[in-house]
Formats: sequence, structure tokens, C-alpha cells
Amino acid sequence: MTWSPMFLIRWLHKWFGLVLGLQFLLWSVSGAVMALLDHHKVAAEDAILPVAQLPAPAGIQPLARVVETAGGPVTRLQLKPLYDRWVYEATTASGVRLVDAASGALIPIDGSKARELAVARFSSQAPVVSVTHVAKPTLETRDMTLPAWRVQFADPDNTAVIVSAATGEVLGAKNDTWRLWDIAWMLHIMDYKERQSFNHPLIITLAFAAAWLALSGLILLFRSFRRSDVAWVLDPIEKMTEKRKTARVEAG
Amino acid sequence: MRWPALARSTHKWLALIVAIQAVFWTLSGVYMTAVHIDIIHGDRLVKAVAPPPIAMAGLVEPAHLAHLAPGLKSATLDTQLGQPVYVVQAEGGPALFDARTGQKMSPLNAEQAAARAKALFAEDGAVVSTQYVTKAPLEIQTRPVPIWRVEFEGAWKPTFYISPFTGELVSRRHDLWRTFDFVWMLHIMDYDDRQDVNNLLIRVFTWLAVATAGTGGWLLLYSFRRKRRVRKAVA
Repeated sequence: MTWSPMFLIRWLHKWFGLVLGLQFLLWSVSGAVMALLDHHKVAAEDAILPVAQLPAPAGIQPLARVVETAGGPVTRLQLKPLYDRWVYEATTASGVRLVDAASGALIPIDGSKARELAVARFSSQAPVVSVTHVAKPTLETRDMTLPAWRVQFADPDNTAVIVSAATGEVLGAKNDTWRLWDIAWMLHIMDYKERQSFNHPLIITLAFAAAWLALSGLILLFRSFRRSDVAWVLDPIEKMTEKRKTARVEAG
Repeated sequence: MRWPALARSTHKWLALIVAIQAVFWTLSGVYMTAVHIDIIHGDRLVKAVAPPPIAMAGLVEPAHLAHLAPGLKSATLDTQLGQPVYVVQAEGGPALFDARTGQKMSPLNAEQAAARAKALFAEDGAVVSTQYVTKAPLEIQTRPVPIWRVEFEGAWKPTFYISPFTGELVSRRHDLWRTFDFVWMLHIMDYDDRQDVNNLLIRVFTWLAVATAGTGGWLLLYSFRRKRRVRKAVA
């Protein structure tokens, strides 16, 4: 048996295929699923309404009062409407404090407040199923600043609206389309636990191997086609030129 | 046609269509996995300094902002270049005010934008160019224009985008990000604006890839043989 370069490439393609085959198939299938799922739906863009505008109130508490209520030096202070009132969002060394801009009182975001804020921003009329406190990152809240409240609705998409427990802001919404997408994403990036990192040694190694699998396959293509494979195209063409030639000879 | 021949032939013809894209997919995959996403995002290009506490005494009161910016939507008291400022969103668009005098500072000129960029830049490189961009280049296509583009000296051409209206850092780019964006385009096959992961081309090619991988697996069934044992002749 002679180990010509082509034979070696064929041998490698076969063995790389054996080892990587299943993952290659999973990459293709998960990629196909993610391409099919509309990313606007995945991002639940239509589920969240834009912030409703509210005219600025006449009496806004002075800065000194806000600092006093926040209970420490403020590094950043935001004044904005939050659903039915204007609030100060004060960033301090010990976290973010929410202060009512008109009354100057602290606004704690408890379960019922979170529920109210989620309902106000949710585009559907579906009722709330449950309100749960999220302190540790979950699959749904892995990219969000915690703690937060998870407000689950009874709409057909099973949308959960996540509300920050510190600022009362809607951090995002997760629906069944996202949950399906997220499984495909997990399989695609091979981070089976947190579904977050695509920079780990396993996937880097397999990505290199897969690149060789694809490249060796491409090289093999050059040797894989014979004339008989394309005879259905070439034969009629040749027949035609042949005919013309004879016709020309006969005419000449 | 026998089964092995059929498997080989289908795999071969499918591969003829998919092969080049499969090479693009895997090579772009290598880049996206091997270069850490935090480096791509340029986290280390921006100085990580905790913002200082703001001295509130003598500042313009927020109650006054509605007069400065009619149709006030929101306002943020922040620190820029060590000075307290109000970043305001109002009916007339975003604007920047000196929090001590109430004077409007926006739109910022080239020097003011470059100074803010330089103050945020974590490396030593000098500002190479400051440009006023009125048509969003591809690398910040989703961001509002006009915008100041401040490019620095340094590895991979670090570039900061500063809003002339808010003075804030809107975006940071460098060549590793730009390369990522290019290979991402190859990966999702959206050659127009590199955003649509649901385009027809990718939908067709992913299923072709599924079929190629599937027939490849099928072909594997016929590709490994035990070495033929030589049967001893029965005596």
C-alpha cells in the first residue's frame, strides 16, 4: 500500500470524521435551528413596551436631600420616569438606591412593586402566574445584574419579565422561543453548564480539528469527481460539437 | 447503485456545494473561540477607574433642568474630565450641561471630544486622528450619528466613538473586533450588514450542512473494515 498525500488526506478525513462526526452534526443542526428561529422573537423584542413618557413633576427634591436619603456619597445620579412617577437612581459605594423624586422617600422594589412594573411594560394582557426573587444567576438571568425579580406571565410564549430589584428597570424578557434557542446555543458553544463561554479549551481544540475536517474534505473534492460523474452534462455538449464538426466537414 | 456507492455519491455532491462554506464556518469558529470575547469587546482599552463621589454643593438643582431643556425625558448627573455634568435627554434630543453653571456644553468640538476619549483610554498611545462622522460606518452601524471618531496610536488601531451631544463613550473598536465582525459575517452568511442571522442563504446552507454531516456519518459505516482473517483451510 502506498501512502500518497491524497491517500493520507483521505485517511485523516475518515478518522477525523469518526471522532468529530457527532459534534459536526450537532453544530450543523443547532446552527440550522438558530437560523430558523426569528431573532426578534428570541430577543422578545415585541414583549416589552418602550418607557412611557411622563411630564416632569413640579416639585423635584433637591440634591442634598437625595444624598441624605441614599445614605452615602453618590457617584452617579439619574433622574427619570419609572412607570407612574419620577425617580432618582443614585449610585453609591454600597449599591444603587431608588428615591422618589417628588417625595424624597426611598422606593424599595419588593415583589408586588416588581409585578406592577413588569405588567406596565409587558405588551400582552396575559395575567401574572408567579413572581420570584432571583439572587443567583440562572440560565435566564446569566447576563443581568442581580438581584432581580422574575415575573412569569401566562401568555402563549410563557414570557418571563425580569425586573431589577435595585433599580426597578426591566432587564429583559425570556420566552419559550428563547428557551429553545438557548438549547441550540448550548450545543453550539459546548458550554453545557452555564451556556455562556465560547472561549474554553474544549471548543477551541475541536474548532481546529473541525477546520481540518472541512479543509481535508475540500481538498478531497478535487480528486473525487471523474468524468463519469458529469457525463450527463458533458455528453450532450460533446455530441453537439461533434455534429457541428461533421456538418462543417460535409459542407466544406 | 449499492448503498456504499450511494452514500459516497450523496456525500460528495452535497460537499461540492457546502465545502467552501464549511471551511469558512470552521475557520471563523477557530478565530471566535480562540480570541477571548473580552479582548474583542475591548474591555482593556477603557480605564477601569471607580467614578469619584460628586460634591453636590453649589450644583444646578435638577428642578431647574426642565427650564434648561424643555420636554425633559431624563437627566444624569455624572463626572466628565473631573467636572460634574448633566447628560440630558429631552424633546430636542440629547444635550450636555455644566452642572455648576448650567451652561450648555454640547455639541462638543474636536478638542473636547478628543480630550474625553484620551481621559478614558487605558493605554499610552497618542490621538492619531479626530473625525466628525456624519454617516455611520459599518462598525457602529446601529449607533446614532453624527459622532466623533477618535483613533489612537497603538496595537490594532484602537478607536473610540464619542457622542458630540452627551460627551459619553458610545463605542470602542479595534482591529481584533473588526476581524471578528468580518468572520462573523462569513459565519452567518449575511454579507450586507452582518446582522441578520435568519437570512435565506444561512437557512439553506445549514440544512445542507446537516445533510453533508449525516451522509458523512452514513459513509463512515462502510469506511472501516476489519482486516480479513485468512481462514485456515479445513483439513
